[in-house]
Amino acid sequence: MENLIIEETKYTPLIKMDTNGTIELVGKSYPENTFEFYVPMMEWVKEYFETSAADVTTVNMEITYFNSSSSKLFFDFFDLLEENNDKKIVINWIYDEENESALEAGEDFMEDFEDLTINLVEK
Amino acid sequence: MSNSSDNKLVDELESLKISFTKTADKIIKDINRQDKIMARSDKRQRQEYDELQKKLIEVQSLQEAQKELMDSFIKLIASAIDAKSKYTGGHCSRVPELSLMIAQAASDSTDEAFKEFEIKDDVQLRELSIAAWLHDCGKVTTPEYVVDKATKLETIYNRIHEIRTRFEVLYRDLKIEALEKMLAGEDETKVASWLDSEYKKLQDDFDFLANANIGGEFMNDADQKRVEDIANRTWERYFDSSKGLARHERERLTDDNSSFPVSEKLLSNKAQHIIPREDFDFEEYEKFGFKTPVPKDLYNLGEVYNLQISRGTLTQEERFKIQEHVIMSIKMLEELPFPDQLKNVPLFAGAHHETLIGTGYPRELKKEDMPLPARIMALADVFEALTAADRPYKEAKTLSASIKILSFMVKDKHLDEDIFKLFLSSGIYKEYAKLNLSPNQIDDVDISVYL
Repeated sequence: MENLIIEETKYTPLIKMDTNGTIELVGKSYPENTFEFYVPMMEWVKEYFETSAADVTTVNMEITYFNSSSSKLFFDFFDLLEENNDKKIVINWIYDEENESALEAGEDFMEDFEDLTINLVEK
Repeated sequence: MSNSSDNKLVDELESLKISFTKTADKIIKDINRQDKIMARSDKRQRQEYDELQKKLIEVQSLQEAQKELMDSFIKLIASAIDAKSKYTGGHCSRVPELSLMIAQAASDSTDEAFKEFEIKDDVQLRELSIAAWLHDCGKVTTPEYVVDKATKLETIYNRIHEIRTRFEVLYRDLKIEALEKMLAGEDETKVASWLDSEYKKLQDDFDFLANANIGGEFMNDADQKRVEDIANRTWERYFDSSKGLARHERERLTDDNSSFPVSEKLLSNKAQHIIPREDFDFEEYEKFGFKTPVPKDLYNLGEVYNLQISRGTLTQEERFKIQEHVIMSIKMLEELPFPDQLKNVPLFAGAHHETLIGTGYPRELKKEDMPLPARIMALADVFEALTAADRPYKEAKTLSASIKILSFMVKDKHLDEDIFKLFLSSGIYKEYAKLNLSPNQIDDVDISVYL
């Protein structure tokens, strides 16, 4: 399967999905239609786990600002990761020390997904 | 049969129950998440709102600082112009003061003439103020010798010409001394009487020219003819007039320096007195809508030409150079990227030398083409100039005399009558006088004769 790259825009983050097991989301997330925007990513992740998951999958998320539907989408994304937790998955939630809400969001994910390995990484 | 179907039903129910429980769990989880998402989202929104507010305040204070900087810059330009010439004194700062007083009165007036004029906000006031502060900004480009030209013969002058003349005089003195020695013994009375009358004539001619040079009186045709007559007297030049000149002056020189003496007129208009107009962009001039005729030459320093100036001390070339300050003001101001709310600054500032009947400059506008603020500035400009006490070349006029002159200009349709009447009836003339005129200028004015 192919890698997926969606370039960063004013309202959407850079998305880099590599079959070598590195998944990256960097930037802001205010898409006009959040669920539609993330369809390619979610589809890719599903196919990745079904067909060609690497031994270790590392998810680096550095989302500075995001709207509430992005929040919801990230929960769905984490659900999807949790469903495939039989493989080794490491999630790095990267936040700026001054960005309190990014830290809180990370803490929420940790609370909700006890079975996932989520690291809070201060930049 | 029934037993097995019962079991099947139980199984189905059991599986439905599990599925239901799972779905219910998922729904509960989702609701919990949703609550969390909403709560977090609300918090984030509040933070973002706080941040926006903070940034807005920052931007506003930066804007305020920028406005202050711009205002100071404008005042700096105005004071540079005022400082450039002692002849204009505090003109650039007093015209805005007076203009704004009149504009405010026009805005407050219920009179029919001002019903369409209203100062709605600070921005509009600022537009007026900037225009008034910068109305003479083009004067930074006007040569001082023209702005301050106090006598007809005044110019930026290479004094080598004066020094050479003194040498000419010494040369003759030596010759005279020698002749006197040789001629000792002639009929002294006769010579003395002849010399006396020649001296008197010479003195008379010089006095006439010296007086004409000041330009205080109108010069009629007879006087102009006399300048020519005096000019035609000749003298012998023994010295080379091409020595000691800068390149430009030497290039213009047409004098004959091949052999001496050269017979020279006492006063002359020579080709070398003419400084040609170069690189003038007539196309641009027309594009800006300037209509004032442009003299062919940049300057004409001809001695006869200057002494024959009929009124004042300026040649038509110099008068145009002075008028060019408004042209420069307009061009300079139109170059500036004024924001929309200040877009009229060039228009307001650039029309203060227009009259109401197309006889002003530089666009020869008529009343209907001149916005009210421009007409206000035109009156403020004249009134300030008349009453200013800081001009070394003239006595400041009294309040009543100044208002009388304004009334003549109103009658000639050079100034706006409604504004003139408002200026009087509102009492602004008195208020301004108290602030800016010296007490001995402030006399009683019977404004009823003008209203």
